[in-house]
Amino acid sequence: MADPKQDAGKKSKFKEIGLPLLIAAVLGAIGWYFFPPIMPHVQLPAEKLTHHPLISLPMPIGDIYLTNTLVATFLVDLVLLALVFAVQKAAKSGDLIPRGIVGVFEATLEAIYNLTETTAGKWTKVIFPYFATFFFVVLIANWTELLPGVDSIGFLHKVEEGVHGYAAQGPFLIKQPGPYHVTPWVRVASTDLNFTIALALVSVFMTQVIGVRALGLPYFTKFFNIKAIFTVKPWWMGLIDFFVSILEIISETAKIISFSFRLFGNLFAGSVMLFVIGYLVPVLLQSAVLLLEAFVGIVQALVFGMLTLMFMALATHPHGGEHEEAHA
Amino acid sequence: MDAQSIITAAKLIGAGLAMIGALGGGIGIGLSANGAVQGIARNPDVAGPIQTNMILGIAFAEAVAIYCLVVALLILFVVK
Repeated sequence: MADPKQDAGKKSKFKEIGLPLLIAAVLGAIGWYFFPPIMPHVQLPAEKLTHHPLISLPMPIGDIYLTNTLVATFLVDLVLLALVFAVQKAAKSGDLIPRGIVGVFEATLEAIYNLTETTAGKWTKVIFPYFATFFFVVLIANWTELLPGVDSIGFLHKVEEGVHGYAAQGPFLIKQPGPYHVTPWVRVASTDLNFTIALALVSVFMTQVIGVRALGLPYFTKFFNIKAIFTVKPWWMGLIDFFVSILEIISETAKIISFSFRLFGNLFAGSVMLFVIGYLVPVLLQSAVLLLEAFVGIVQALVFGMLTLMFMALATHPHGGEHEEAHA
Repeated sequence: MDAQSIITAAKLIGAGLAMIGALGGGIGIGLSANGAVQGIARNPDVAGPIQTNMILGIAFAEAVAIYCLVVALLILFVVK
């Protein structure tokens, strides 16, 4: 006694959800049958793509190679530039209705601008560019993880016997026995500590610059509170204040570490998890993990930007009476 | 038992021990979700901002667990 209307609804639901899932499962099973996945080879430092260094600098820095995370960084820059030109074109055309990617961009910008305004107050115009830049760079860098081919297409190189590796197969490969490893051409930029530490250094350094802009040289009494020794009434309380101000230096350094390792750890663990899930359950489950990784990517980008915003906003406040805690 | 297998065993045990620190992150995430759900139950109108702030708090709590994961991965894949 099925209602024909309900029946039609069931059918369309099957067409919308069930059929694609079935097709994906069958395709995944076929791929799993012909190219069985192997335990992934995990390497922490970025892989070098060239044998000769791009630039040779004097010793403290050394040779700079073209690594696959550097390629990903260039890709991120290209995507960002394309976005910039698309938005600029739309803004110049005088069309007041934002369409497509420009609309998404405008909505995102408005949301994070309002967020900046509630935290930073009159310093919004100074702080907002850093927040927005960090947000978009980190977001696009994180989301390259979701593209097929990233982390999986690259050079094959032979490894010694006894190590897990791919057997060379397929029409275009010269069949030499022995396991191979893949050196991917593109690897997510955020899985390289150099990228995240560079962002963290920029963030913390510009925080100091904005602090000096807001408060002038007295900003540095946050770090060397010599004045407190002479002004605070019981002399030992002043001494304690002085040592607390020295501790601020350590907390500032710890910011660099926490900024960089949070982003690096989340994204590196994410890509390792993608590989391991693909090895253990090659059918369907990886799609769910990709969804989770998309969420982690946007949350980490937002966290990086918002922490920068909060530290910068804190630096513009004169410190003194109240004790503000900002740890992360 | 040769030296290499002892070293491998020690690395695996060390990585496992390093992940004990994820306990703290788990407790933190649970507490923040607890607080957020209580807040939403009392005042469902502010569910949106509470959710946003909860996710931010979870990201910070999770960061501590992620440090442990980084240490574990370093032990597994970098230490020779």
